Amino acid sequence: MTWRAALLLAVGALTLPAWPAPFAGLLVMTGAVLLLVLLDRVLAAPPGALTATRQGDRAVRLGGTATVALLLHNPSGRTLRAKVRDAWVPSAGARPDVPPSRLVRVEPGAAVALPSRLTPLRRGDRPAVALTVRSFGPLGLGFRQRAGRPATPPWTVRVLPRFDSRRHLPEKLSRLRVIDGTQVSRGRGHGTEFDTLREYVVGDDVRSIDWRASARRADVLVRTWRPERDRRLLCVLDTGRTSAVRVGDEPRLDTAIDAALLLTALAARAGDRVDVLAADTAVRATVTGTGGPALLPRVVHALAPLQPTLAETDFDLIAGELLRRQRQRSLVVLFTALEAGALGEGLLPVLPRLAARHRVVIAATHDPVLTALTTTVPQRPADAYAAAAAWRALAERDRVRTALARHGVTVVDAPAGRLAPTLADTYLRLKSLAQL
Amino acid sequence: MSAHATAAPPAGRADAAPRRRRRRHRLLIPLGLAALLLSTTLVTHAVDQPDPDERGFLSPVATGDDGGSRLADALRGRGVTVQRETDPLRALLAVRGGAATLFVPAPALLHPDTVGALGSLPPTTRLVLVDPPRRVLEAVRLPVEPAGRRWAAQAVGPDARDLPCPLPELRQLGRAAVGLQRYAVAPGGSSAVRFCFGDGLALLPRPSDGMVVVGASDPFRNERIDEWDNRAFATALLGGPGRVVWLDLDGPEPPPVFGEGSTGRPAWSPTPGGSTGVGGPGDGDGTGDDGPGGPGGNSDGDSDSEGTGDDSRADRPDPPNPLWSAFPGWLWALLAQLAVAALLAALWRARRLGPPAPEPLPVMVRSAETVLGRARLYEKAGARDAAARTLRAAALDRLKSRLHLPPTAPPADVAAAIAERTGDAPRWADEVLHGAAPETDRELLDLARALDRLTRAVAPHAAAGPYPPAGAPPTAAVPFQGPPPAAAPPAEGPPPPAGPHPHRAEGDPR
Repeated sequence: MTWRAALLLAVGALTLPAWPAPFAGLLVMTGAVLLLVLLDRVLAAPPGALTATRQGDRAVRLGGTATVALLLHNPSGRTLRAKVRDAWVPSAGARPDVPPSRLVRVEPGAAVALPSRLTPLRRGDRPAVALTVRSFGPLGLGFRQRAGRPATPPWTVRVLPRFDSRRHLPEKLSRLRVIDGTQVSRGRGHGTEFDTLREYVVGDDVRSIDWRASARRADVLVRTWRPERDRRLLCVLDTGRTSAVRVGDEPRLDTAIDAALLLTALAARAGDRVDVLAADTAVRATVTGTGGPALLPRVVHALAPLQPTLAETDFDLIAGELLRRQRQRSLVVLFTALEAGALGEGLLPVLPRLAARHRVVIAATHDPVLTALTTTVPQRPADAYAAAAAWRALAERDRVRTALARHGVTVVDAPAGRLAPTLADTYLRLKSLAQL
Repeated sequence: MSAHATAAPPAGRADAAPRRRRRRHRLLIPLGLAALLLSTTLVTHAVDQPDPDERGFLSPVATGDDGGSRLADALRGRGVTVQRETDPLRALLAVRGGAATLFVPAPALLHPDTVGALGSLPPTTRLVLVDPPRRVLEAVRLPVEPAGRRWAAQAVGPDARDLPCPLPELRQLGRAAVGLQRYAVAPGGSSAVRFCFGDGLALLPRPSDGMVVVGASDPFRNERIDEWDNRAFATALLGGPGRVVWLDLDGPEPPPVFGEGSTGRPAWSPTPGGSTGVGGPGDGDGTGDDGPGGPGGNSDGDSDSEGTGDDSRADRPDPPNPLWSAFPGWLWALLAQLAVAALLAALWRARRLGPPAPEPLPVMVRSAETVLGRARLYEKAGARDAAARTLRAAALDRLKSRLHLPPTAPPADVAAAIAERTGDAPRWADEVLHGAAPETDRELLDLARALDRLTRAVAPHAAAGPYPPAGAPPTAAVPFQGPPPAAAPPAEGPPPPAGPHPHRAEGDPR
């Protein structure tokens, strides 16, 4: 029943003084209202007969707005007057165009579209949870509502990482082109891989003349070089407990994803093959065997639902996966945190196996709070203690870094905003030095 | 500073809140305990004290704690006849039959109009009043008045004031719990009043030589009759003449009716058969004043030891609540219908439009949580030497790399290099870097500040050049991308150290 039934009864109560037998009047009126409510309820369109489907966006970048429409079709012979609540998880930030308090009217055989605008607050998969239809009768006295009638049409909007570092992409690409030699010069020194032999023209570096080939031909031939291509790059994301730490206003994992995306975009443009692996105690996401333009969207979709877990990362598992998948020498970029406990016990024992086969780069975000603790002038005794603790953490980090460097591992340690460009620079330098 | 500012205040607040709570506890706990003790005492006392208004208080047929059945049994055991009366008038009539004791355990229940009749008893009657209030004492015109009341009854001997007890049967008794309400001679009263049991018992000679006022009900109650010499006291006091008329009132007595003839109820008329011997209940089938045709004839409950005192109340049917007829019937119907409407509204509100949407929350770990936690541990444990060691080692590392000294440089060289750079005395730098461990927090703070000043003073020159251009050696893959020029705005004083943790290996070109 609805508020109208209560109001009807309350208004009817005012007529009681005019009744010859007030208590009989009470019974008659209550019975009549209940009868009307029942009748109205019977006459309401059955919610179980409705069919609900959805259409709209499947993915949206974090910060953007997606629109998902709920299509409600009324195949029954009665007009549907209903309140419809389409519930999404709270972090989906759903705002229905038709609020649940408003009555939706659907003629028999017709359908109505109820769009919701989603502005998600977090990265990841944001599912629709429940659809509730409250179907009112023609008098608005009673309604029918049952859980699961109609069934909630499943829909998930994947919220993609913001990829803020893509603003660095043009600059890095231009540097890549310099290294490639496509834009500035086609001379020696910008590549290490043999490309072709061509005839000498005035202005070529005489050092690049291939005398042996020239001896076989009548012309003087020079060698041309190009940068290495079709190298393998493997991004490994640690989604264990250290990735849950918030650095700035986002978890470390989000920074790592951002940097991994920039690296992937850059490597894809440079003609390298990129694989992605995310793991903590189990493998959470993998992307393998793709290149070309489809690579970046695939990586974005694979990394979007990743969430940090409160578990110690199993570096044994990661090393095993790496050695199993990558037979050729490749550049392994491990996104983790420089923490003595996690790396010293997990990574260092398996690092020799890994470093023997691959070139390993460790990318870590460092914490601006630590920097602030060590550089400010202490004002109170507590500040002095905090500075001591921070220096100790930094010393431990340096120890880890030294231990890693001993295995020939390159460590990139940068503040959250600078990790992606710094890592891209490292990649470009390794590429230009032919160390991939 | 910003990180300090954001990191430090929560610690301070978290520290201050428990202290304030502790301070409040220090006040609240003893006060609360005292209040608890006080209220427990008061409640226990109120529960423990018998209420004369209660049904069965000192009734010869009541076997409860406050009843008087054991006293009645003890009296009968001594061969004393116990005659229970529930109507004062009938009790007065019964007393006139011969020598007897009229025992009134609850004088406060007597109606003011009947109390006066107690003053005109035959001289062969001993009247025993238990703890009478001032109102009764004045109405019977007794020359005593209440003088002080104890918190609980005290056991006193008969000659507590070195005077022999005026009643010979009480003289050889031991202590009895009589000392609750004390009495004194009223102003203007005769001095013939005699006291015993430490003013707890007053003997008044005037109406007859046996009007006794007892200050406490404890010696008569079932609960306490076996303590001290209570039983002997009660039986000796009551059983003297061999017959006890026990006035047992259930509640406040109704006012006596003075017959006008029209109601047919004679004033002060005793009803025949209204009195029942305690030993044999059963002859009390006499009805109230309305004659034998009343409801008493066919109700068994009346013939019980209930007495007939409230017959006149019981046989009238309960009148309907006058509130029902005060308003018209439709008002009640209207209220009922409004209640039904409210019920419908509640049912309407009770149904929700779908369940709440659950969502697992993401894992959140605050940044530098372990570092700040360790700082608090240091502070709590007072680990000043450990903190000072860490600070000095870190400062030394930075200074050596900035001064282009090898990591193994002896302290004297470091101090000399610093002095050369800053112009301070080498002893001061040496003291700061290698001095004694601080004893107090204040000293630790001073040390931290001094180290900070040292490193800042040495920094500007170091920033001028020791860092090699990024990317030059292959091992510098961890290039000092560190401070982008825009990210380190020049401070007003000496520029801050170029980086939070300059890499010592790179900082040293040699």
